[in-house]
Amino acid sequence: MRQAGVSVGLPASLTRVGWRYLWAHRWQSLLMIFGIALGVAVVISIDLANSSAARAFTLSTETVAGKATHQITAGPQGVADRLYTRLRLEQPDVVAAPVIDVTVTSPQLGSHPMQLMGIDPFADAPFRSFLGSESTAQGGVADVSSLLRFLTQPGAVLLSQPLADRFGLKPGSPLTILLGGKEHPAVVAGLLTPQNDLSARTLDGVIIADIATAQELTGLTGQISRIDLILNDEAQSSTLQTWLPAGTLLQTSAARSGTLDQMTAAFRLNLSALSLLALVVGMFLIYNTMTFSVVQRREWFGILRCLGVTRREIFLLVLVEAFGVGLIGALAGIGLGLLMGQVTVRMVTQTVNDLYFTTTVQPGGPDPWSLIKGAGMGLLTTLLTAALPAYEAASVPPRAALLRSGIEAKARASVGKAAVAAVGSGILALILFYIPSNSVILAFIGTLATVVAAALLSSVTLITLMRFAAWAGGKLLGFTGKMAARNLVNSLSRTAVAVAALMVAVAVIVGVGLMIDSFRYTVVVWLEQTLQGDIYVSAPALDAVHASATIEPAVVDAIAAWHGVARVDTLRSTEVAARSGPVGILATENPSIGKERLFVWQAQATPQTWAALQSGGVLLSEPLANRLNISRPAANAAGAAAQLPQIELLTGSGWRTFPIVGVYYDYSSSQGAALMSLQVYRQAWQDTGLTALAVRMSPGGSPDALARDLQDHLPGGQALVIRPNASLRADALAVFDRTFSITVALRLLATIVAFIGVLNSLLLLQLEKAREVGILRALGLTGRQLWGLVMTETGLMGLTAGLLAMPTGYILALILVFIINRRSFGWTLQLHVTPDIFVQAMGIALAASLLAGIYPAIKLGRMAAAQVMRYE
Amino acid sequence: MNKKRIGRGVALFLAPIILVVGAVALAPLFSKDAGQKVQSSIIAIPDAGSSQGYARAEDARQWSFPQDFGPHPDFQTEWWYYTGNLQTAEGRRFGFQLTFFRRALQPPSQRVTRPSDWAADQVFLAHFTLTDVAGSQFRAFERLERGAAGLAGARITPGYQVWLHDWSVESIGMGRDHLHAQSDGITLDLDLQDGTGPVLQGEAGLSQKGSRPGNASYYYSLPRLNATGQIGLSGSNFTVTGTAWMDHEFSTSALEACEIGWDWFALQLSDGSEIMLYDFRRTDGSIGDYSNGMLIAKDGSARRLNKSDFKIEVLSTWRSPHTQAVYPAHWRVSVPAAKIELDVQPLLADQELNLSYSYWEGAVKVSGSLGGNPVSGVGYVELTGYARPMKGV
Repeated sequence: MRQAGVSVGLPASLTRVGWRYLWAHRWQSLLMIFGIALGVAVVISIDLANSSAARAFTLSTETVAGKATHQITAGPQGVADRLYTRLRLEQPDVVAAPVIDVTVTSPQLGSHPMQLMGIDPFADAPFRSFLGSESTAQGGVADVSSLLRFLTQPGAVLLSQPLADRFGLKPGSPLTILLGGKEHPAVVAGLLTPQNDLSARTLDGVIIADIATAQELTGLTGQISRIDLILNDEAQSSTLQTWLPAGTLLQTSAARSGTLDQMTAAFRLNLSALSLLALVVGMFLIYNTMTFSVVQRREWFGILRCLGVTRREIFLLVLVEAFGVGLIGALAGIGLGLLMGQVTVRMVTQTVNDLYFTTTVQPGGPDPWSLIKGAGMGLLTTLLTAALPAYEAASVPPRAALLRSGIEAKARASVGKAAVAAVGSGILALILFYIPSNSVILAFIGTLATVVAAALLSSVTLITLMRFAAWAGGKLLGFTGKMAARNLVNSLSRTAVAVAALMVAVAVIVGVGLMIDSFRYTVVVWLEQTLQGDIYVSAPALDAVHASATIEPAVVDAIAAWHGVARVDTLRSTEVAARSGPVGILATENPSIGKERLFVWQAQATPQTWAALQSGGVLLSEPLANRLNISRPAANAAGAAAQLPQIELLTGSGWRTFPIVGVYYDYSSSQGAALMSLQVYRQAWQDTGLTALAVRMSPGGSPDALARDLQDHLPGGQALVIRPNASLRADALAVFDRTFSITVALRLLATIVAFIGVLNSLLLLQLEKAREVGILRALGLTGRQLWGLVMTETGLMGLTAGLLAMPTGYILALILVFIINRRSFGWTLQLHVTPDIFVQAMGIALAASLLAGIYPAIKLGRMAAAQVMRYE
Repeated sequence: MNKKRIGRGVALFLAPIILVVGAVALAPLFSKDAGQKVQSSIIAIPDAGSSQGYARAEDARQWSFPQDFGPHPDFQTEWWYYTGNLQTAEGRRFGFQLTFFRRALQPPSQRVTRPSDWAADQVFLAHFTLTDVAGSQFRAFERLERGAAGLAGARITPGYQVWLHDWSVESIGMGRDHLHAQSDGITLDLDLQDGTGPVLQGEAGLSQKGSRPGNASYYYSLPRLNATGQIGLSGSNFTVTGTAWMDHEFSTSALEACEIGWDWFALQLSDGSEIMLYDFRRTDGSIGDYSNGMLIAKDGSARRLNKSDFKIEVLSTWRSPHTQAVYPAHWRVSVPAAKIELDVQPLLADQELNLSYSYWEGAVKVSGSLGGNPVSGVGYVELTGYARPMKGV
């Protein structure tokens, strides 16, 4: 039966036959392509956002670090500039350069965050070459006068030519630099012509000034941010280490930027995992469609086999079809992903700025690697998912192929196996979750196993539910009710997959929704407990996390003496070095702090919290405690006081150990912070700056009125942010909601993919039954009854998916709240379950399935009985 | 008139040196091309424009020491020039140079008090060289720094000091200074004891560089500093003694065209006298009119020499393998009126500084006769304008 020359590869004629099938069923093909495209697009858009955030970060770091191998940093006030002079005089062989690196804004530069970099042109050349060299610069800065101006003119700064052009600035144009609520006049002394696109983008967010000018523009005379070093070897660094005074830290540039990179790693991993979910849902869709196209063509494959086409050729035929569809889908996915990327990049950048650090660098165009990765993943997924149906098609013996019911018989027979696999998958998930680890990846694999287990259960659930539905449907709707339920079981191979896809999507809606609700609820409760002041005053900071701009002391005194102010609690928030990396510090003088925090554990009774802090103890926020693996000290058997855990911090006079007297819940940052008494802080760091004030009013006053009064009449040249409690709380929740906006968007996309999947499979399912429907119509089934039949079928599928999605979603929520969130961000959330999310989920499942039934119902209804039968 | 080291040409040249180095340091900020542009534009600065607003050396100066050892920031340029010949007890010979140049970035009237210590209106450039005769080795180093934040500067209170990073000359007592410099494993630590006190060059310290009034510098020398100290070289330490020479000059000089460089001699003779001479070389090969010199007797009395009073003959030349420039390398110096006839030879042929500006400055040995008696000596010679800076043609 074999024809010579056919055995190698796939004959062109056969490929044409395959394409013709896809073309003849082009709506079905289009839906499949769209499903793949959407899955790919979601993955790509998230990857673009992630890589853009990462690259913006790397660029920012490179801008500031340059070729430095090491950096000297110090406490909250930065490095004393005299240290650099001493280094130069006492360690003249060390290649070093002072750097000031501050985030500022300027109304003349669009009020975006900009990096003000103070450099020393006499020392900087070995470090930062990104600004120039080997180009055909036409810059106007290269004349002696702008060189002299840069060094001698107060406020002289350099900008890149493209940046200046964009804002219509020229040498000599005045600039206003805003920092910590104060305005500092500056002037453009010259323009830099970046020599390539990369330095252009880097320079786009940078204002360059001489170190003297930078000190004056920031009001930080006597200080620099750090000293960059190029050290040749270990010996040099250990010599330097010995030479350095206490209170300074010598670390490698890599360690420094590594710490910063780690901060966002968990966040980015979570987004990636979420984006893969869309692809997983897409997988169901592809599998479903491919299976269907195989089932539909069983007879046809049988004929081909009879004509001498080999199994391998049939297998290849189906795979080539899948490849074609996958390729088109993946390409379309790239386009769609780029479009969606414009939104996701903005959302992710916003979140990163809200939660982690301020990026001033605009990442360039999309990373081609993201596109290749996403498209490749889509194509591979398509091929993998198509392999099973392709195998199915190829393994049919020529004669058996003519038996249409063969595959359904098999599908029903495998329900038991699926149930066993589901149990296995569930057990695997449990094991994965019980492995004592902080691995987020492990947790996600466990989550996937959970989802797979639930999906595998869909056929059992469907069969079980349909038994009941056939009975109930018979009672309620008569013949069509009973028939609808039985139809679903009879075409189990397709219906189960459609139900599984819809179920997964809805379960994700439930799970993520419950997680966000719980999170929000937890934050609301926490804000309630934590924000006890009536009005909060702070210097405007660009960077929500590291709000370290200080309030002028005169302002603090003025507010304390203000009419209607009963009490002012001051706070210094800053960042210091711990052995493990930078740690946020909150130094307060609020004696009732013990009552204003919720504790995971405390070494003392709440009334003694303040005393413990005053005697040098610190409280850690939960994420920090998790990050440092600090757990509650075990009380020893004798009942003696347990040994307290400790944290080592770099104070002004060197490393000092602080006992940890408790861990409190905190949701303000995933990096966490150590809370201490202001007095202890000042003594250890010799820093009198204050970053925030909590004002409590005398009874009867209106916070809004007082805030307005302060805003209008407070003396001094510093613009402060003065907010009543309610507005601060609203702001905090706004940031919260913004953070989750991308999660909500992803959830929506997963639903759309699932909806298309359901629509697709229902459509096919119903159209396949055209002949059966024709017979029914011939037997007298009315149009209305037909509608009822179709809608009951799709409705039952939606109902099954919805019912199964509820427990699955709930389990997902438990995993997200108690495992993923904790491992990723270190937060313990209170599970907060509201029934409306379940109602909503069921609504979505039913709506999706009923909507998907409308088109087939219309189409079948329009066919005259004879036509339908002839069609067949 | 006097030394030419940085005589008129010097003032002219110094500005480019400092600003060129400045431009080089800043060049990465701008780009290579732009850096070269900076350079050429600096060389093209007309002096009228750049030197306006500075104090000028126009009239006889009321000198006041030790005050005048210190800086004179109202003048545009100033330098402290230390050179010397040293040897170990065994007779191993060394030469050294440690020079600090100061250049004002702004005339006094434009300077404003700024809050930052780093705000600079002065820039310092320093050169350090060591000639190791036995090792046939000459090493030269350069540093540039702002005159601010304690990184570089010159001062007279609480005591005289001029420094750039750890390179420094600092008063350690009456007429006693300590000199320290180190780079790349080479260290120099000397105590310098002044033997003569300041000798005013030119007309009571007013050294005319050109025909125009104000085209002059204030200039004095410490022609004989007795040096004792240590040299560290390749891990070895040498205890050395010898004699050093210091020139201190400040001016706001204009550039007179048509001079391409100068040859400067500072010789310390075995009879206790010193002689300083310089020639300005012009583009046409002739010697400039303001070339001059000074004879300093053992008792410190000084006698000025005009262009016509001395003659410098070149006996042989040396081609630099680094810049291909051809330098004079052996001289006959004669001052007929003083019956001086000297043969001057470099201790090492290659004492060329290839820094931001290429020139030759090296230790020399002297032999000959003075007043009919045989005399020997040591000294330093500076030759500029033979190599084109930064081009290597």
